Amino acid sequence: MRPPKRATTRSLVLAACWALFAAGPLPAADDANPGRRIDFGKQIRPILSDACFACHGPDAATRKADLRLDLRDEALADRGGYSAIVPGDVEASELFYRITSEDEFDRMPPESHEALTAEQIGLIRAWIAQGAEWEEHWAFVPPTKPEPPALADDPWVRNPIDHFILDRLNQEGLEPSLEATPEALVRRVYLDLTGLPPTPAEVDAYLADERDDRYEQLVDRLLQSPRYGEHMARFWLDAARYGDTHGLHLDNYREMWPYRDWVVDAFNRNLPYDQFVIEQLAGDLLPYPTRDQLIATGFNRAHVTTSEGGSIEEEIYVRNVVERVDATGTVFMGLTVACARCHDHKFDPISAKDYYSLFAFFNSIDGKPLDGNAKAHPPVIQVPSPEQEAERARLDEQIAAISGRISEAVSAIEYDPAGDEDRGEYVRRGDFVWVDDALPPGAKPSAEADWSFEAEPNHPVFLGEKAHVRSAEGQSQHFFTEASQGLLVGEGDTLFAHVFLDPLNPPKEIMLQWNTGEWKHRAYWGENLIDYGADGTAERFAKGPLPTTGEWVRLEVPAAEVGIAPGTTITGMAFTQHGGTVRWDAAGLRTWTPQPGKTYTSLAAWVRDQKILGDKSGLPGPIRAIVEKAPGDRSDDEAQQLRDHFVRFAYAPARSTLSPLLDELASAESARKTLEEAIPTTLVWKELAEPKPAFILNRGEYEERGEQVGRATPEFLPELPDGAPLDRMGLALWLVDRSNPLTSRVAVNRLWQQVFGTGLVKTSEDFGSQGDPPSHEELLDWLAVQFQDDGWDMKTFMKRMVTSATYRQTSRTTPELNTRDPKNVLLARGPRFRLDAETLRDQALSVSDLLVEQIGGPGVKPPQPSGLWEAVGYTSSNTAKFKADSGRDKVHRRSLYTFWKRTAPPPQMTTFDAPSRESCTVRRERTNTPLQALLLLNDPQYVEAARGLAERTLREAGPSADERLTHMFRLATARHPESDERQELLAAFDEVLASYRGEVEEARALIAVGETQPDPAFDPAELAAWTIIANTLLNLDEVIVKG
Amino acid sequence: MDPILERIQTMTRRHFFGRGAVGLGTAALASLLPDRAARATGADQGRPAVSPGGLPGLPHFAPKAKRAIYLFMSGGPSQLDMFDYKPTMNEWFDKDLPESIRKGQRLTTMTSGQTRFPIAPSRYEFAQHGNSGAWVSELLPHTAKMVDDLAIVKSINTEAINHDPAITYICTGHQLPGRASMGSWLGYGLGSMNENLPSFVVMTPSWTGRQDAQALYNRLWGSGFLPSKHQGVRLRTDGDAVLFLSDPPGVSSTHRRRMLDSLATLNQKHFDEFADPETQARIAQYEMAFRMQTSVPDLMNLADEPKHILDMYGPDVHKPGTFAYCALMARRLAERDVRFVQLFHRGWDQHGNVAGDLPKQCKDIDQPSWALVQDLKQRGLLDDTLVIWGGEFGRTIYCQGGLTRDNYGRDHHPRCFTVWMAGGGIKPGVVHGETDEFSYNVVQDPVHIHEMNATILQCLGIDHKRLTYKFQGLDMRLTGVEDHGPVPALLA
Repeated sequence: MRPPKRATTRSLVLAACWALFAAGPLPAADDANPGRRIDFGKQIRPILSDACFACHGPDAATRKADLRLDLRDEALADRGGYSAIVPGDVEASELFYRITSEDEFDRMPPESHEALTAEQIGLIRAWIAQGAEWEEHWAFVPPTKPEPPALADDPWVRNPIDHFILDRLNQEGLEPSLEATPEALVRRVYLDLTGLPPTPAEVDAYLADERDDRYEQLVDRLLQSPRYGEHMARFWLDAARYGDTHGLHLDNYREMWPYRDWVVDAFNRNLPYDQFVIEQLAGDLLPYPTRDQLIATGFNRAHVTTSEGGSIEEEIYVRNVVERVDATGTVFMGLTVACARCHDHKFDPISAKDYYSLFAFFNSIDGKPLDGNAKAHPPVIQVPSPEQEAERARLDEQIAAISGRISEAVSAIEYDPAGDEDRGEYVRRGDFVWVDDALPPGAKPSAEADWSFEAEPNHPVFLGEKAHVRSAEGQSQHFFTEASQGLLVGEGDTLFAHVFLDPLNPPKEIMLQWNTGEWKHRAYWGENLIDYGADGTAERFAKGPLPTTGEWVRLEVPAAEVGIAPGTTITGMAFTQHGGTVRWDAAGLRTWTPQPGKTYTSLAAWVRDQKILGDKSGLPGPIRAIVEKAPGDRSDDEAQQLRDHFVRFAYAPARSTLSPLLDELASAESARKTLEEAIPTTLVWKELAEPKPAFILNRGEYEERGEQVGRATPEFLPELPDGAPLDRMGLALWLVDRSNPLTSRVAVNRLWQQVFGTGLVKTSEDFGSQGDPPSHEELLDWLAVQFQDDGWDMKTFMKRMVTSATYRQTSRTTPELNTRDPKNVLLARGPRFRLDAETLRDQALSVSDLLVEQIGGPGVKPPQPSGLWEAVGYTSSNTAKFKADSGRDKVHRRSLYTFWKRTAPPPQMTTFDAPSRESCTVRRERTNTPLQALLLLNDPQYVEAARGLAERTLREAGPSADERLTHMFRLATARHPESDERQELLAAFDEVLASYRGEVEEARALIAVGETQPDPAFDPAELAAWTIIANTLLNLDEVIVKG
Repeated sequence: MDPILERIQTMTRRHFFGRGAVGLGTAALASLLPDRAARATGADQGRPAVSPGGLPGLPHFAPKAKRAIYLFMSGGPSQLDMFDYKPTMNEWFDKDLPESIRKGQRLTTMTSGQTRFPIAPSRYEFAQHGNSGAWVSELLPHTAKMVDDLAIVKSINTEAINHDPAITYICTGHQLPGRASMGSWLGYGLGSMNENLPSFVVMTPSWTGRQDAQALYNRLWGSGFLPSKHQGVRLRTDGDAVLFLSDPPGVSSTHRRRMLDSLATLNQKHFDEFADPETQARIAQYEMAFRMQTSVPDLMNLADEPKHILDMYGPDVHKPGTFAYCALMARRLAERDVRFVQLFHRGWDQHGNVAGDLPKQCKDIDQPSWALVQDLKQRGLLDDTLVIWGGEFGRTIYCQGGLTRDNYGRDHHPRCFTVWMAGGGIKPGVVHGETDEFSYNVVQDPVHIHEMNATILQCLGIDHKRLTYKFQGLDMRLTGVEDHGPVPALLA
């Protein structure tokens, strides 16, 4: 079938307007004049691609009549007495007959709404007449460096960029614009290189600088600012589809911000672009990769992933790999390789085989496709801070030292098991006290404050040194869970605890609860007031009246009564009461089952118990094996190991020496574990030892494997460079090899787009035949080769752009120019477009002096309206509920650091066209909507910024309203207000001030908005009135726009 | 694409609220836009007209529906317990699903490991209703009353078998994120009919069944590759109905008006100097924002609804955020000519406890859905308003987890599920498509979700093949690249 076509139906009205606009910069009717040389690449290929390639192009599966029009030999081939195209002979060319035929069966393209226009037909006629010259698609031919057009000494020209631009303007009969005012230029270049506006002091310093190269000096300074890397990074993070959540289904937190920080750092240290590509695609394959180079490989891990229940692993595996291939195509090659996933590409010569040969580079990661909803979806690496590294070394040392002391102590203990080998104790039931003066090892208390262990003489104690006590009104309890040494319940065992009820303040009810992973086992004494569990079941078992008060009473509960079966391990207990004062002591189990933590005086008895415990002994494997052997079968070494283990953990006389040491070790190990958990991780690439096989997947379906394919670059592009390995490293080297026609062009075009608003190739994601042709092909090639000649130096490239006369022009336009070149393709004026979401917010925080300039770290959550995550979040997702951060170091950071939940991204960003980061984006749209107006006017962060700007003005400017207005205006726009502007704003100020004087509470309400509170030294009415003026200024078109 | 057309589209696209053609900058362009007044006189009867902000040439033909309301049941409602009556299944209770039916088709990994696939017949009573004789279960007594208004399609099918890909697929035409949602396509193609409200409004009502509900994703109403102004605007019931709608504390509307006057004056001066049409567009956007501060509260204020109307929707209508409340709001939005309203009701993922949860879910939506259709009908709005009810897939005849006659669970089932449509462009009183006796495979008139979406577009005057947007070298469209078209049998 034919692919769908864009709607190209024109109304008559449009056609009538044709003449009015026809003088536009792009090829128009006039080009059909046979006298003028037709350019195949610019004028003919786009027509053929749009109208013909779908059926007569690279895709073999859908090709009709076995005719290809994307290859010259095929189009000219003899087809049995006729040819599709006969160079120089329009009438003999079947193609021309077909596109002009009146016969509906012959007419091409077959769908009437796709018919070629008269202009297009004219172009094809002229092209055939001129000899039907073919050329390869421009972007697939490696660029050569054209000589910049020679121009008569033109004082406007500053660098080679200007030669190309001016030459074209001359051809079009247009004049370049004058240079922007110094203030406008300074603001523009600050925003383009740092994403932040200049302060009035910085503008003044520039104006006062008398050096000829003051502008170049400024550019150099800005390129050295750490703000530069932050600004550049955010464009890249769109392309890398970086986010702080997995992006699919549960959309849980994903820890990946070290990658974001790597990108910032890479720009700041001016990592050459070729290296930038290599490290991200194949950093793990570098010899002895650094930690940073491993972090960089996060590029191929940043895509969305899922762990939705029911997912089929193979399907997700394929999706993950496909995402990496598509991103590589878009970001590095400017190619829409995704089309070839299901079939040969219809427009570009990328076959399905090419696609899956690329797939084979990206399919062999050493990790599971499903993310497990874990923040650290393997493979990951740890990224400790220097402080954490030092702490880790210190703890390791400490652990080694304690271990040494333990070994010494074990050796020093005098115990020879040979002496009591035959002292077999018989087995009998006994009390095993589990909770006495402290919680069992590993237990997590409900809250530290809940547990109150008290000693004599102020409190009665039943056993040991202390008892725990609680006084309460109504229902109350303390409990613990997750004891590492649980109670092992055996047949016929009885649970017990000792209780002392205060005779002066007795409770109405007491309850004991045992946790076996869940709270379902309870017994109570007294009134039935405590509402846990279903009444009359083992979840709430009645034991009768309260025990006598004023003395210790032993409570006993057969485990079976509360539904605890033999073989169960109890890991928690709760002591619950309704009112009164209750003391508890010595709780445990009467059992003959050996309990963890029990001590012994003979190895033989211990060994016997370990055998009874079997699987539950918790012994390390080698020790367990020795235990199982008959004493006579143990080697000397084994006997020694067994003895040492016993002495270390269970020999009663050694406890006083070893227990404190073991506690010390446990506490150091626990600190080590806590530290490990606090160390950030980041997703990286780790290659499998053996690559996974790759197959062509028919129609892109994961189940439909076709031919197996190996790793290879697309056939129509150059081969891997000599000696390059056949892996991602080879692919990366191939991308940045001089023979690659795409990489450099695609990269410089994106940087151009960033600064000028539109790329030289407008479709910066598609350099294929369906993409837009370059507006200045020679300039693009010159820039691409120069970029390589400069060693892929990005700062040099940025400097070249922003120091060109082209960049420095005023952005002022005229109605004539708006008509001739509305999108400023020809660059007869400077760039002018609305700031991106991040820059808008950062600018507001910056001019208000609120911005906290701290680089890097975990994503932060400035406030956002309530309910945005809850409305969509999977209820059990760990990002289902949004809780704003507090503290200026969290809420006033650059927007780059805002936490990015991909299924509900921050509205401050998406309202201004930021992508969701669910898929790779190299070009943002720019819209203009009332929702944007509401946000800039009313979002509390912007209101706070307006107040901050007002406060700053009151602090920094002179006392008169005029001085204040001027300062505030300069902070917002970088220029001085003109007199009518001043009048308008001062009049507004007076009116608003008068109203706030009458309603000071209203004024106070306004200035209280935000994370910070206003300086009480300021008069609230005055501050509020200035806040209104600041809010107005921050909404000015001039401030919202980079002009 | 030729530069003039593209330029015009870019400029017109820029206008979220369509006729905000104030400040389009070029007089020539303004004259290209149709005169709303002329259209209002009926002079355009039967003639495709360009809505403000839409694309030239759209609608492609006279639309039957001017607007649509999509009641989306997120999670996968059980067709077996609501619409797709399978009486012989009672005899199959706890017997294994025959392999001849399953045919080795893939299952989710939640049940693919089960050793058995025992049949779970629906525990609910079914009866035939209306002139069409459509079968509806006792769970939907109100829906049953209006079957003659509906086209019930029992043969909808999809390929996706898990929630995230499936709901993304039906809402954006693709299983992976990155594409444009249906509502954003409509705004892009057809523009807006109301200059004071967004053209695509989304609501996420509360639900009473299984609380551990499947997620939604902003992308379901996102604009994908289309300009972001086409993304759905979520109408909230906590805080501002539209984000940042309210003036900050301490700012009166007098202050705000004064600010906007200063802004307009300064921006106009800037325009005079720099001549950028975007500046004038921005002035207009700020004025529209100001108007929204009145129009949205007016929309949300139910004081003008008479009691008998409120009663139709049921008692929940008084609780903001319930499905009943949102259904009424959908009618108010339709009345105000909002192009596309979509409600996402969660909680339909009955892997277990059908008996406990499904009745609650049905109770949430049954009466309000009926009331919405009747309310539109009595106002004459149903003639040109399309209403759609359905989820992202269906559920299996075989049981997931424990099975008794009274309770059971069902896994995801993509091969057939039921959707109903009503109103503008849809043939009423139709039951379309048949499934086998296990409601497992479609045996007659399958309707792929792309075909359903193409049918929706058709009702709105759009040839789904010609509503495209060039992105990454492809002409993207809502209905995918396969040869799927609208379903004639459903069209009036």
